[in-house]
Amino acid sequence: MTDVLRIDGLSAGYGPLRVIHDLDLVIKPGERLGIVGLNGHGKTTLIYAIAGLTGWQRGSILLNGTQIGRTRSQGPGRYTHQIVRKGLALMPQGDEIFTGLTVEEHLDSGAFTREAWRDRKIRKERVLDLFEPLRKLMRTPVGRLSGGERRMVSIGRGLMTDAKLYLVDEPSLGLAPKIGQSVMEALFALDLKDSAMFIAEQNVALLEGRVDRVIGMHAGKLKGEASAGLGFN
Amino acid sequence: MSKPILTQINWHNPLSPWGAKTTDIPTVAATDCSDVWDANTEYKAKTYKVGRLKHYVIWPNHGQRMWTRLRWWPTRRNLLHVKGLYNRKTLVAEKKILDRRPIYWAICLLLIAMGPMLFPASMYNTMLSAGTIFGIFAAINVCWTLILGAASIFSLASYAVVGVTAFVTTYASIQMGLPWFTLPILGGFLGLAMGGLIAIPALRLDGFYYALLTLGLNELCRVFFTTSKQFGSASGGLYGADSFLPASWSPEAQSLLSYYSALALLIAALFLFRFINGKRLGRILRMAPEKREAFAAACGVDYRKARVTIFIITSAALGFIGGFYATLYGGTAFSIFSFDTVLLGLAMVTIGGIGKAEGAILGTLVVTFLDKVLISWGPMRMFLIGIIMLGVVLFLNTGYFGIKKQFNAWRDKKRGEWRSMRTEKGGEALPEEATEEDDKDVLYFLRFDKMQRDYLKGLICPEIIEEHRRQPLGQHSAALERLLMYFRRAPMDDKYALHRNSATGKFKIIAFSGERGVSPRVVEDREYDSIGDGYHAIFMRRVHDLLES
Amino acid sequence: MELSFILTNAIVVAAIYGLIAVAVSITWSSLGLINLGYGFVFSFAGYCAWLMAQNVSEWPPLVAGAGILGGALAGVMICLVVFIPLHDKPNFTTRGMIGTLAISLIGSQALLMQFGPRAKALPEIFGFWQVDIGGVILTSDKIGIVVCSILMLGFVVMWMRGSRRGLEIRAMMMNPHAASIVGIGIRSTGVYVMAMTGAMAGLASVLLSQTYYVAPFSGLTPLIKGVSIALCGGLGSVQGAVIAAVILGLTEAVTSRYLGGQYVLITQFLVIILILIVRPRGISGLLDKAREQ
Repeated sequence: MTDVLRIDGLSAGYGPLRVIHDLDLVIKPGERLGIVGLNGHGKTTLIYAIAGLTGWQRGSILLNGTQIGRTRSQGPGRYTHQIVRKGLALMPQGDEIFTGLTVEEHLDSGAFTREAWRDRKIRKERVLDLFEPLRKLMRTPVGRLSGGERRMVSIGRGLMTDAKLYLVDEPSLGLAPKIGQSVMEALFALDLKDSAMFIAEQNVALLEGRVDRVIGMHAGKLKGEASAGLGFN
Repeated sequence: MSKPILTQINWHNPLSPWGAKTTDIPTVAATDCSDVWDANTEYKAKTYKVGRLKHYVIWPNHGQRMWTRLRWWPTRRNLLHVKGLYNRKTLVAEKKILDRRPIYWAICLLLIAMGPMLFPASMYNTMLSAGTIFGIFAAINVCWTLILGAASIFSLASYAVVGVTAFVTTYASIQMGLPWFTLPILGGFLGLAMGGLIAIPALRLDGFYYALLTLGLNELCRVFFTTSKQFGSASGGLYGADSFLPASWSPEAQSLLSYYSALALLIAALFLFRFINGKRLGRILRMAPEKREAFAAACGVDYRKARVTIFIITSAALGFIGGFYATLYGGTAFSIFSFDTVLLGLAMVTIGGIGKAEGAILGTLVVTFLDKVLISWGPMRMFLIGIIMLGVVLFLNTGYFGIKKQFNAWRDKKRGEWRSMRTEKGGEALPEEATEEDDKDVLYFLRFDKMQRDYLKGLICPEIIEEHRRQPLGQHSAALERLLMYFRRAPMDDKYALHRNSATGKFKIIAFSGERGVSPRVVEDREYDSIGDGYHAIFMRRVHDLLES
Repeated sequence: MELSFILTNAIVVAAIYGLIAVAVSITWSSLGLINLGYGFVFSFAGYCAWLMAQNVSEWPPLVAGAGILGGALAGVMICLVVFIPLHDKPNFTTRGMIGTLAISLIGSQALLMQFGPRAKALPEIFGFWQVDIGGVILTSDKIGIVVCSILMLGFVVMWMRGSRRGLEIRAMMMNPHAASIVGIGIRSTGVYVMAMTGAMAGLASVLLSQTYYVAPFSGLTPLIKGVSIALCGGLGSVQGAVIAAVILGLTEAVTSRYLGGQYVLITQFLVIILILIVRPRGISGLLDKAREQ
């Protein structure tokens, strides 16, 4: 079985600043992977590089066997939608939401593949099961929601397709601890089947014991497996 | 890195001078450690021969002393920005012209002034009348550039102002018999009034709302003038204003006079540009570029007032040009209001670059040449103008005169990217960390340590491991000795050691905590019978750690 | 009788210009492009319809269909030439506007070179008949124009509300960056938007040619009216554009009835300026923040 993600010698950065240094990473199907690290050590950039949103990048990124990374330095985001359509669900930091759309339309906008659009009702139900509080907000414009609800919407939007790889960037950032916890619960409750999930997080305690692997990130490089065996007890 | 070349390092018996039997024994082959050093410290960026970056005009020095003049007597200007300095190579005193723009302006204006002498005889009349039109349109565009660039009000109504004043002054001249020299002045006042009127919505509306509104205004003027009877709706224009061209002159002399008067108008417009854009109003507005108005306002800049002032002054100037146009041609045609005129005007302004006087003039030159001189090309020439306009808009950020800046910005961006792509893996410290570290020795140590590890990784081979297994202590080959030295020098935290419970017990590998009072931790449960096995197990662990790092 | 005549005229005018206004409005709000190339789209569509009527058949749906398809084609052309290369460049709004103007210049010249300056008349699509409803006589072309444009507008609004593409377009209006994250391509959506708005302009062209003619530069007046209506209604809002179209149509009809045709533009502009001074973002400038770069 092919790896969900295989990164080989990835470097990325913005203009004269290099953030990621020759990074290698393999994510197996069905794996939930946590990346921990302090601010400014390249967690978000790594996610952006996978999605093609960095200023420049180099190295190979194989998503399910198809090449989505290459040496390029066009404007960021030029190919993002194509990469996303190859089976990536991106739940970015800071809730990239469409303020004027309602929650329902938001979830619909996440269902961009043909199959997902066809049975979007079932999928919406599935997301609502994960995020109960959204059920009664379906007709509200997202601009009026609170931070936690927005995060739920933006994560729920990512869950609408059968992505191969879910990239979650700092799901608990800026949320009250309790809400952050519940958002994390929802992420852990998701049945991954043969896809994989990649969570970047500053707060190790939230990941402890719930993910298959935790990798530390320091200065643009992955620092071994922080606790491959430790996490499971 | 090129393929490492293994060299045989002999073990040299230190006792050989005293008659030891064995002198030199060949040991495990290893690479030379200076290779890694050389590879890491060589300058990898591709270098190019650098030519002259910027050419300055240099004069020899004048008199004994160095040239230190701040202004040209009796003006308060420092035209050309001449600066005295010593030549860095020859140490000869020189005068350097730092600001060459006045020279180029003078050359270009001189060329335009000498135009009638340079025109080919077969096209003389066409070129002369095209030159007149160029002068007037360039003047209009320079004023328009003030509105678009300095005031950043995206108004498309400049030609409407010119047209309205031209029509009204012509009408006034016909009806009241006003002499020619009053027409531009009357036009100026009219333009002032119109500018005031058009500026009212500009206070409230945003850039593109205003652009579309003025586009409509232009159309409104066109419809109004073409349909009203007073302004000659039947004849395609209104003619009969008093002209300053003496009727007794020959046609050639008349067109020559109109050519030079249009040139004078252009120069006047350029002075207006200089006095608005280069002085207080222009400076104020350069503090308040688009999207940063709020900041400028917070600094006490009343950018709205400055913009409207520029707009109104420029409208008065446009009105003046309209009156001048009326006296020059004795009237106006409706085509001044047509959408095509606005389009061509926009093409002129865009080709050279919005916001620059030289851009407006270059664009006018190109478009007028295509439009008025190459008449034989027919509709093709409009097509060509459209293509040029499209090409400029698609490829250039700010027209022809922005090419250099755009190219430099692009080159700097690419350079930055290339440079950062080249930086080596594991420079160990990100640039932002390097700035945070007070002790720069640490950074150099990290760098050196990385090189050292790179080299030592290359030394590890089965022979060495076998050699260590055979004899953990004692004399070793040079390669193994280097490796062991490095391991022994490791810091205390997480340093491996052997632990034995009793004098006869077995050995276990532990790792020091590195902190006084904190007990070491047990690394693995495996036990070793002899100390030699323990040493070798630790060695293998370290080798493994080294290869992993 | 008089009042009803004025009203019907106003509605007819509003219907046609409203179509273009909505097209301009949608283009601006979703792509951030001020498309002044609709003049060219308009003439191009008119010529397509004319060619269809001339060479193939004068069957009304075919002629109208040719016009709509031609408009969509011209819209896609503008998108490919101007929007796609420019959309991520600095000064996009200004450059995009000038680029569409250049297209309009080139296109009109090409049409002039191809077809000559003489105006062409389209066949009557709606036939000659009239209905008398309570003393109000409605001619066939008036009814046809209003019905067609309302159908088109309704279709567009439904499409924007209900379909996946419409959702994508609306999402892109709000946040282009987030749109690319959920797999909405800015460029491909741009093609859809421009094709759709081009089709609207094409239909408007066919409808307007019932009273006027098709000529290389005939698109100018509708463009300017459409742009002013879009402006007045608030760029980016469909209902604002519809309201503004009705108001301006009413102004036009009333003015031409009581003051005379030459004052139509003057009163219209006074109304527009008045509205814009009271509400600088137009009647319902909802998207104030959405498209601020």
